[in-house]
Amino acid sequence: MPLLLPLLVATGLFTAGLYGVLARRNAVLVLMGVELMLNAANLMLVAFGAWLADTLLAGQVLTLFVITVAAAEVGLGLAIVLMVYRQRRSIALDEMTDLHESRTAGLS
Amino acid sequence: MSAVLVVLLPALPFLAAVLALSVGRAAPRLVAPTVITGTALAWLAALGLLAGDISSGGANVSVAGPVVPTGGPRLGIDLHLDGLAAVVSFMVTTVALAVQVYSTGYLRHDGHARPGPRYPSYAALVAVFTAAMLLVVVADDLFVLIVGWEVMGACSYFLIGHHWEEEGARAAAVKAFVMTRIGDVGLLFGVFALGVGAGSFGIRDVTAAVLSGRMAASTLTAGGLLLLLGVVGKSAQFPLHSWLPDAMAGPTPVSALIHAATMVAAGVYLVARMDEVFLASSTTLVALALVAAITMLGAALAALAQPDLKRVLAWSTVSQLAYMLAALAAGSYVAAGFHLLTHAAFKALLFLCAGAVAHTVGSTLLADMGGLRRRMPLTASVMAVGLLALAGVPPLSGGFSKEAVLGAVEEAALGHSPLPAWAGWVLLLSALATVAVTAAYTTRAWLLAFEGPEAASRAASHGVPVYPPTDPPASMAGPMLLLAVPAALLGLAGLSGSWLPSWLGRGGPGETGVFAAAVEHTLSFGWVTTVASLLLVAVGAGGTFLAWRSAGRTDPALHLGRARALLTEGFRVDEVYQVTVVAAVQALRAVPAWVDRDVIDVYVQGSARTATALGRVLRVSQLGQVQVYIGMALAGATLVGLAAVVAR
Repeated sequence: MPLLLPLLVATGLFTAGLYGVLARRNAVLVLMGVELMLNAANLMLVAFGAWLADTLLAGQVLTLFVITVAAAEVGLGLAIVLMVYRQRRSIALDEMTDLHESRTAGLS
Repeated sequence: MSAVLVVLLPALPFLAAVLALSVGRAAPRLVAPTVITGTALAWLAALGLLAGDISSGGANVSVAGPVVPTGGPRLGIDLHLDGLAAVVSFMVTTVALAVQVYSTGYLRHDGHARPGPRYPSYAALVAVFTAAMLLVVVADDLFVLIVGWEVMGACSYFLIGHHWEEEGARAAAVKAFVMTRIGDVGLLFGVFALGVGAGSFGIRDVTAAVLSGRMAASTLTAGGLLLLLGVVGKSAQFPLHSWLPDAMAGPTPVSALIHAATMVAAGVYLVARMDEVFLASSTTLVALALVAAITMLGAALAALAQPDLKRVLAWSTVSQLAYMLAALAAGSYVAAGFHLLTHAAFKALLFLCAGAVAHTVGSTLLADMGGLRRRMPLTASVMAVGLLALAGVPPLSGGFSKEAVLGAVEEAALGHSPLPAWAGWVLLLSALATVAVTAAYTTRAWLLAFEGPEAASRAASHGVPVYPPTDPPASMAGPMLLLAVPAALLGLAGLSGSWLPSWLGRGGPGETGVFAAAVEHTLSFGWVTTVASLLLVAVGAGGTFLAWRSAGRTDPALHLGRARALLTEGFRVDEVYQVTVVAAVQALRAVPAWVDRDVIDVYVQGSARTATALGRVLRVSQLGQVQVYIGMALAGATLVGLAAVVAR
């Protein structure tokens, strides 16, 4: 099986995810973008694992790790999004700038 | 045996002080017995050494300690006791013992059976003071001497500041410390110069080097002048004298100790111990003579107008110390030692009497006294002995020793000493004038304190208890009576011209040096000076008495008119220092302040400003938009990736 096809699919997935992370205002959609990027990485791991015919199956093992981490990450992320929504009745990312130093304050 | 006693001499009071301090809090009752026992044992040791000195005609005991590896001139922890040291250490321990006993009574609070809470530290400091003076007396190495010298400076600071809750006492303590320290710097560098010049810091090595002519004349003069600066500071002579009258803020027994036995006596003792250094350089000798001439007359005049009994005595100490230095300048350390001894006896007596008066009157101002002769007959009679001795009336001790000094100075004026004759004449005229002024101020102090009407305002003005003044308790009267004996009789030691020179003798080869012919090793009394000084005493005392009578039995100093204020303030020397030295220091102080503010701080604050400005530039990119940050991270990652590709 040629390597090019899975790599092209993975690149498409990653680019779609990156666009979602960078461009969407909705925090849930941003999380979905993150998921897409993670899965693009998974796809590449599996593809390279098969191409290299690795006897230790490192690519597939790492993929399992990434899936686990991604599940935990999205669980935590959604919980945060829920809390933010309860506080502010909005999950628009560009409105969440409270941790930013205000323009008037600063070093005297 | 003698060597052990020499070591024990400074060690015993010091051990007593350490013991007293360690038991002071737990058992205050034991403090007085401890320090008195320690001082008494040191007194016994000194007595033993004095007996050996008198029986053998000049003690000569050396104790060689370890040698400090300096890599330069020899520095050994050595002690040496000659005749002068034996006599002076006996004098020091006697006065210290009297002061310790007297203090148990003096520091008692009104109505309390025991001394107050500050007594343990006070008694321990007095004991350390005594130990330090004894170390100076028996030191055979200039650095051992400096150790004792500096410890004395510290003790004087603490004891003058005994009443530290009073502003005046604190200021006086700091003043005494700073002014003697100025002199100490001179002493230290003088020691360096002499030690390097002689190749050893041993006192006898230095004097031997001077006598053998091995030391360069310039080194000798520089070292002698620097030593003189230390002596001037410690013995409160003219340029650095003004700390001593202010030191009267301390308790009166401390004044007795400082003025009679320790501290100020150390300066005179140092000159007497190393008089070869001074006699070998006529520049140093003339400087010493001029300092003495100015100080003796100026201080006596200042004493004439003081409104405070203790300050009269303080100025008289300055004046009398100048007498001793005059004798040393004239080349007679025997006359100087004689006057040192008699002065210690009568000045300690006078201060103890003044303390007894102050204790019962509640003030040291002469205006609060008057008529005390009827109230305090015992104090009045011993005070009379002390004042007559101070005035130099012959049957009493001061009369003889003052004649010895005048005789020595007369010899110098006639050109029989290394001192140039013109300086000798200056010294002689100043000394004779001082005799008259001394008689005048002692008469004035007596008339104002003990004669005349009683001060009516005594109780009202100072809020002291309203009870008639009485003689002090036995613990204070005892030391006063004991000191009255030497104050009255010590002068008889000068009756035979051979006694004192033998007792004060060096007992070593130093006596046969090149100065043996020039230096007075005998006491000489001149008929001319004796008659002149007796007449001057009569003129001074009689004139003061008549002035007192004509002023309506009030202060005879009122006749001084406008000069009185000038004399009361000690010729305003302190004000001169204020506008010269203090103002100069204040002006110089601006330089480091400017460097700190306008040079060093510029760099410190400049670095802070630069960091702030750079931070402002970087802050522009910090928008708080998470997605912008991620975009930047992406851009960065892309750049790094590109760089990696290009670099291959």
